[in-house]
Amino acid sequence: MAEKLGVYICSGCDIGKSLDVDSLLDTVKKGKLASICPVVKKSAVLCSPDAVTEIEADIKEAGLDGVVLCACSPRVKWDIFQFGATQVERVNLREQCVWSFREDPKVPGLLPLMAQDYVKMGVMKLSKSRIPAPEVPETNKTILVLGGGFTGLTAALEAAKLGKDVVLVEQAATLGGKAATMYKTFPMSHPYLKAEDTGIDQLIADATSNAKIKVLTSANLVSLEGAPGLYTATVNAGGEQQFAIGAVVLATGWVPGDKGFLAPMGYGSIKNVVTAAEFEAMAKAGSIVRPSDGQAPASVAFLTDVSLCTKGSTAGTADVCAPVDPLPEKAAEGEPEVSAYPDKESAKHLAYSSELTSLVALKQAGYVREKLGQSVAFVLYDHMMVPGINERYYKAAQDDAGIMLSKASITAVTEDADGGVIVAAKDTLLGADIEIKADLVVLPTAIVPVTAHEPTMNLVYRQGPGFPDLELFDGFVDSNYICFPYETRRTGVYAAGCVRQPMTLAGAKEDAAGAVLKAVQCIGSANRGVAVHPRSGDISFPVFNFQRCTQCKRCTEECPFGALDDDEKGTPKPNPTRCRRCGTCMGACPERVISFDNYNIDQIGSMIKEVYVPDDMVAGGPRVIVLVCENDAYPALDMAAFRGKSWSPFVRFVPVRCLGSVNAIWVADAVSKGVDGVIMLGCKYGPDYQCHFVKGSELCSRRKTNIAESLGRLGVEAERVEQYEVSIDEYDKVPAIIERFMTEVITKFGPNPFKGY
Amino acid sequence: MSNTVRVQPDLKFVQELQQVGGEALKKCYQCATCSVVCPLSPADSPYPRKEMVWAQWGLKDRLVNDIDIWLCHNCGTCSDLCPRGAKPGDLLSALRNMAYRSLAKPSIIGTWMSSSKGFPLLFLIPALIYMAIWVLRAGQLGTAFPLFVTDGHTLKVAAEGAIIYGGLFPGDFTIDPIFGAVFAFMAFAFAGGIASMLKGFESMPKTFIVGRGKEPSFLCCLIDTLKVEVAQHSRFRNCGQEEKDVQRFTGHLFVFYAFIALMVVTSVVAVGHWFGAFFLQHLMGIEGGIAALIAWSGHTPMPLWSPVKLLANAGAVALVYGLMKLTGRRTAMDAAKSTSNWYDWYLLTVIWGIALTGIGSEIFRLFGQKILAYPTYYLHLVFVFMMLAYLPWSKLGHVVYRTVALAYARKIGRLPMGELK
Repeated sequence: MAEKLGVYICSGCDIGKSLDVDSLLDTVKKGKLASICPVVKKSAVLCSPDAVTEIEADIKEAGLDGVVLCACSPRVKWDIFQFGATQVERVNLREQCVWSFREDPKVPGLLPLMAQDYVKMGVMKLSKSRIPAPEVPETNKTILVLGGGFTGLTAALEAAKLGKDVVLVEQAATLGGKAATMYKTFPMSHPYLKAEDTGIDQLIADATSNAKIKVLTSANLVSLEGAPGLYTATVNAGGEQQFAIGAVVLATGWVPGDKGFLAPMGYGSIKNVVTAAEFEAMAKAGSIVRPSDGQAPASVAFLTDVSLCTKGSTAGTADVCAPVDPLPEKAAEGEPEVSAYPDKESAKHLAYSSELTSLVALKQAGYVREKLGQSVAFVLYDHMMVPGINERYYKAAQDDAGIMLSKASITAVTEDADGGVIVAAKDTLLGADIEIKADLVVLPTAIVPVTAHEPTMNLVYRQGPGFPDLELFDGFVDSNYICFPYETRRTGVYAAGCVRQPMTLAGAKEDAAGAVLKAVQCIGSANRGVAVHPRSGDISFPVFNFQRCTQCKRCTEECPFGALDDDEKGTPKPNPTRCRRCGTCMGACPERVISFDNYNIDQIGSMIKEVYVPDDMVAGGPRVIVLVCENDAYPALDMAAFRGKSWSPFVRFVPVRCLGSVNAIWVADAVSKGVDGVIMLGCKYGPDYQCHFVKGSELCSRRKTNIAESLGRLGVEAERVEQYEVSIDEYDKVPAIIERFMTEVITKFGPNPFKGY
Repeated sequence: MSNTVRVQPDLKFVQELQQVGGEALKKCYQCATCSVVCPLSPADSPYPRKEMVWAQWGLKDRLVNDIDIWLCHNCGTCSDLCPRGAKPGDLLSALRNMAYRSLAKPSIIGTWMSSSKGFPLLFLIPALIYMAIWVLRAGQLGTAFPLFVTDGHTLKVAAEGAIIYGGLFPGDFTIDPIFGAVFAFMAFAFAGGIASMLKGFESMPKTFIVGRGKEPSFLCCLIDTLKVEVAQHSRFRNCGQEEKDVQRFTGHLFVFYAFIALMVVTSVVAVGHWFGAFFLQHLMGIEGGIAALIAWSGHTPMPLWSPVKLLANAGAVALVYGLMKLTGRRTAMDAAKSTSNWYDWYLLTVIWGIALTGIGSEIFRLFGQKILAYPTYYLHLVFVFMMLAYLPWSKLGHVVYRTVALAYARKIGRLPMGELK
């Protein structure tokens, strides 16, 4: 607990102009917390070097263990306000108080009261905060690379280059994966005009001869037990072996999609219709022939428009709007259910592979030109997806007289009497509905991640052997590709290559390097007892008071990252290196036995209690607590204030690590205190979630349903507790969200019936 | 409404097109900038975008029957503004070259005309014919470089005479029958070419124009075309507004009217000789008066003050002026935007040949330089032969093909957006 605090109030940036700083100092000096605040000062410009030096001197002289800086948002000048081991709390007087303040005509002059609330909340918050002392385990440094294809080999070599030992596990008898089955690949070097050798043989040679890389072929990962930095991998390669592993790069790649999905385009019923994978195999074997008669085709049509196959399974439309299920009241008794891994492949994988489909068609059209002289290749595409430098490759294909390209929607693929294939298409560049006869038709091969079919990781985690919620990504190992590439839902496991997303070899090369860097970062972070991401470097960790734990298992089930296992009795077993410090467990615990040293139930509850709530709502106005997600909603509020937006003076913001960490008791505390409403402002949830911790805002919304029911039983309207989704750039929407709540909830329902008790 | 069309791509045709001037055609990515900027393209199925994709797909049947290649006047605006350097203007020019090569029969001449390799042979044909005449006549006259004095109606070789080309190459027996035959051959070839061209146009889908009245007759359209597009160069004037376009328009106009002037001169000579001297005087026995005037006006060599001679000289000057403009434009062309092909250079070469040897013949004759005059005149005959005999297979074939196509386009209402009423 911080017990000797310094409180500093800045007068710069309009604060001094709008507020009587001296009387604000008095609220601390004369308040109930005066005893723990030996230093209370104001400063003209708190971020000036002089002021910072003064704070440093005070810390030394008065032996302060914490400073409360009442100035601007904690999101700015954080680099200036760092004082070593001394804890820092920033009270956001500038953005949340002065800049965004709006007079209410019925209850004027609320600004000083608001500032007092925030200052008291800040002092209270810091007084309830301790410096965490994490356990620092001695971690394993070896990186396990799963998959010995192009991505895996590259990853292994990258890791070795960084000085890490590598265990490379390949399921097949030989290394090389899919790249070894390719005749050539898209250009990877200047001038990016010609298909080139994959370079896989060199990679294999480099990896097998590298002393730091232990290559295991015909091997599979039996289990991965433990936590990042402390894993034990059991590998079966003609006998089980165990390895001490720090982190894992998952590069198990892809398998060709089910050809059954191609039946609407004649695959299976027409002899001379083959897949791109089959065509590639022919080219690799040396001769391109028609299956029907073994003759070289005079014309080959590459059809990349697969809408005939994907009709009715358009990407991203299914189940988007399905409501969130309420929490199961209690977890099922006994053993965790061992269910068959649900298969995640669908025709959508054809659509997801579009970029590769376009490039493969161009590449294989090139094979026709290279190997068959005067034969022609038709490429009928619905869209030519060649982002980046590959535009040059597309141009090179366009320049070949024997590669004829047109946009087209394929309407039918039929067989001609002589074995030729007739392709009918509409919406072409040629002007009319056309029909074209080809000796051979090549359909796309979908890239389906191996994780669509099997759990792959074989993790010994309470939450199961694979990654949760992969159906959201149709089996691709992803968790939030925009903000955190390579990350999976299992800290310490980083995905690269086509298991993550369909990509070119050039992309896989970069991916492998990226995932290795994440793995290295993970090992280093675990070794220092800090979070890897997204709260990189956070030294806090959840602390369990097991005496009061009822083994309800909510925390173990709800942790988005499977950080908690449990023992035979069902007592949670924390794995700090798996943890991302979001506090979802803290929000889940009905007994409130989980806390962080610097972020806990009592702390936030006490902050809420510092808010002055007038007994008479008409005279003093209502009060609303807004629990704000620090990741997106809080920055959005800052931006809104920065851009001159303002809102009701009756709201008080309380930042939280994630809405997942919001415990129902805080809402209960607020309501019992007479607060008229509680808003939870967090990230978008559902299939297109933007939550940094994946499940936080979704879990919060489920819990909110329970909270509302409880309130209802107490005679408090359920509508007084509301959750809103906001993304970081929606600063323009924040004021309206608050305004709507104030008019539709507070004005409509009037004062909280508990007010005044 | 839409009926499915079977397309038959032809790689050889694509490669042929690339060889005859459409090398860059594969670069087109169908943005249609070309069709938008073209000052002459019609609103419905505008060219040259569609020709580009047809060419990429080797759709020979569509391209050889495409009227639009003749509606293009090759200002090169499309090529200048093409973002990909696909040179649509060059492609249409190449397609016209293919038409020159294959429309008229015998197509072997088309093949010879299609590249510089055929040039020596094409040159050799008239060169040998006229050389044979020269040698024969030299034997008869006793010298290869004769000077003549007039003795009534006949010419006599005399040491102190004048250079008279008709003396060495008598019109009645050597020049006129040969050129008559050449002209007939050319006309016959054109007739076949036009028939096959029109048949091709008929096979293409028709353009429907809302609010258009009854379709005018072909003859009316042809007359309108001659009055407007040909005589006034109306399309040419609208085809590009830049300095180089004006240069081209002026050059072409001068060359065109120079040829008209020279054609008038040739006609006067022919009419004077065959109608005046031969028909009226010789056959009908009419002497003096109008017959004498007609005969005299066609009698060569003419005095320099003769209005016909003045016209001829003016034509020659105009021809050289126009040629300088056109040649200057071609040599200054940005190769990255548009390129000139063999057909362009062949025609310019032949016309320069005609102009320079024509003027040279006159000057050397007037200065009495017989050693220079006769070979120059001989070359003049060769070049004129080369222009006339191979006309349907040369770029100059556009005189006929484009005129017919423009008339046909008028008939079916395929007009530039600006001309639609």
